[in-house]
Amino acid sequence: MEGTKLAYDLQQVSFAYEPEHPVLSDVTLSITSGSWVSLVGANGSGKSTLAKLLGGLLAVNAGKIIVEGTPLLRETASLIMPRIGMVFQNPDNQFIGATVEEDIAFGLEGQCLPRVEMVSRVQQYAEKLGIQHLLSKHPSELSGGQKQRVAVAAILAMEPAIIIFDEASSMLDEQARGELLHILRDMRSNGDYTMVSITHDAEEIMASDRVIVLRDGTVAADVDPDTLFSDDALLNSCRLIAPYHIRLIQELERRGIKVPPFPNADKEVEGTLWPLLFNK
Amino acid sequence: MRNKLLFGRSIDTGSWVHSVDPRAKLTGMVLYLIALLVVNSWVALGLATVFSLAYMVSTRIPLKYYAKAAKPLWVLMVFIFVVQSLSIKQGTVLWHIGSWELYSGGLSSGLIAALRMTLLVSFTAILTFTTTPGLLNQGLSGVLKPLRKVGISAERLTLMMGIALRFIPTILDETHKIMKAQAARGADMKELPWKEKGRLLVSLLVPVTVGAFRRAEELVLSMESRGYIVGAPRSEYHLLSWSKRDTGFILSYVMLVAIIVYLRFI
Repeated sequence: MEGTKLAYDLQQVSFAYEPEHPVLSDVTLSITSGSWVSLVGANGSGKSTLAKLLGGLLAVNAGKIIVEGTPLLRETASLIMPRIGMVFQNPDNQFIGATVEEDIAFGLEGQCLPRVEMVSRVQQYAEKLGIQHLLSKHPSELSGGQKQRVAVAAILAMEPAIIIFDEASSMLDEQARGELLHILRDMRSNGDYTMVSITHDAEEIMASDRVIVLRDGTVAADVDPDTLFSDDALLNSCRLIAPYHIRLIQELERRGIKVPPFPNADKEVEGTLWPLLFNK
Repeated sequence: MRNKLLFGRSIDTGSWVHSVDPRAKLTGMVLYLIALLVVNSWVALGLATVFSLAYMVSTRIPLKYYAKAAKPLWVLMVFIFVVQSLSIKQGTVLWHIGSWELYSGGLSSGLIAALRMTLLVSFTAILTFTTTPGLLNQGLSGVLKPLRKVGISAERLTLMMGIALRFIPTILDETHKIMKAQAARGADMKELPWKEKGRLLVSLLVPVTVGAFRRAEELVLSMESRGYIVGAPRSEYHLLSWSKRDTGFILSYVMLVAIIVYLRFI
């Protein structure tokens, strides 16, 4: 039954900050444990609100959110919240401790872990994310990418089952974004985490298992990344642009050159294009 | 920018002063403050200087860092010196301009006042130089624990302080950015008369305050998602343990106070 276990089961979830302006209406979806889901949509489509609902930071107005079989309610929140970690957009505003080490320890202190356990987890997860040499640094001495690594380490150290990335890569430069993506891929391949990432980044969407497109507070599409990127209308509606290699393949196909379907990255496209050159 | 901001930055050299219990350091600093407030003679000042230098040297942090810590306050030092030396009229008149007269007693006590202020500022930098903010916070929380009896939670106070300290550089950075943005639109602080500068400061204060609130909101979300619940029990990452050396550390300060008080009232 392991494969069918649900991390999230949302039933007709609605939410509004003010009753006259509903942000989410009747969202019904489920997310299986261990999968990586991208949540996309234009600005104002309600994806950040949905992330906060999934993270237990907001309560639904109507409907139900069931997390790993337990309904998320005020009474159960203290049980469920430790299972969920969130990484936010601004690396500066989620750095609580005065040093990297203290920041990672902050969540662990809240879990009332004994000191020995905290020290070993700080070491373990710092190593995992390659930030051991930064442990004693103040946030002002770190780059945006390094701070975001710390944020991920701080969340992973709490050992949650579900991790929500709320536009975690949107304030990073290209290289740091690539590094973060690498970390996400690693986490996915372990299968230990259920990941929900809200993102505009095409590479990140491509790397995930499934895409949920939100439009005006409802689910507009629930597809796999390849389908999303081959559907121009859908892409347009969530204001996304396909990654370069996909656009290249589409352009080639338009000109009658058949490329084997769905290579995953630029390198693979290169690999399929070379032979074509020699066949001429 | 970052290098200028020595306030609240710890410098790790691994000296024995670094490993003194932060509670002892905090208590020591309060005692030091008392001692310096009582200093009013050259002998006492000399003694305090020797004491301070001895501690500064044993932290193995270059003395120039201590000098740098006191430097931003030089206007205050000059002010203290001028006010003190002009208001005390003892000894012989050294010189006078109009109705202003400078007495030898005034000059001497003015110098003492300014020097002890310098000493105070540079010496208390030991506290922040040798203690990481987290440890300092925990020490503070330990020292403030008795406040619980009057219904004030020391943990909450120190968490607030810790976050305030953590965000000072971030918000300063943001302030600089807004100042540059305003300068780019022609409102350059440096070239304006004082009155205009004041007005511009207000227009700087609004975006900085709004920005700080926005940060605060996001920080709250982040803390909540990391399981922070106000008043809930927490374990502590840094373990504080009191040793004989810490008692000795405090005793050295008690002696300093005793000797300086003795010198003052004999």
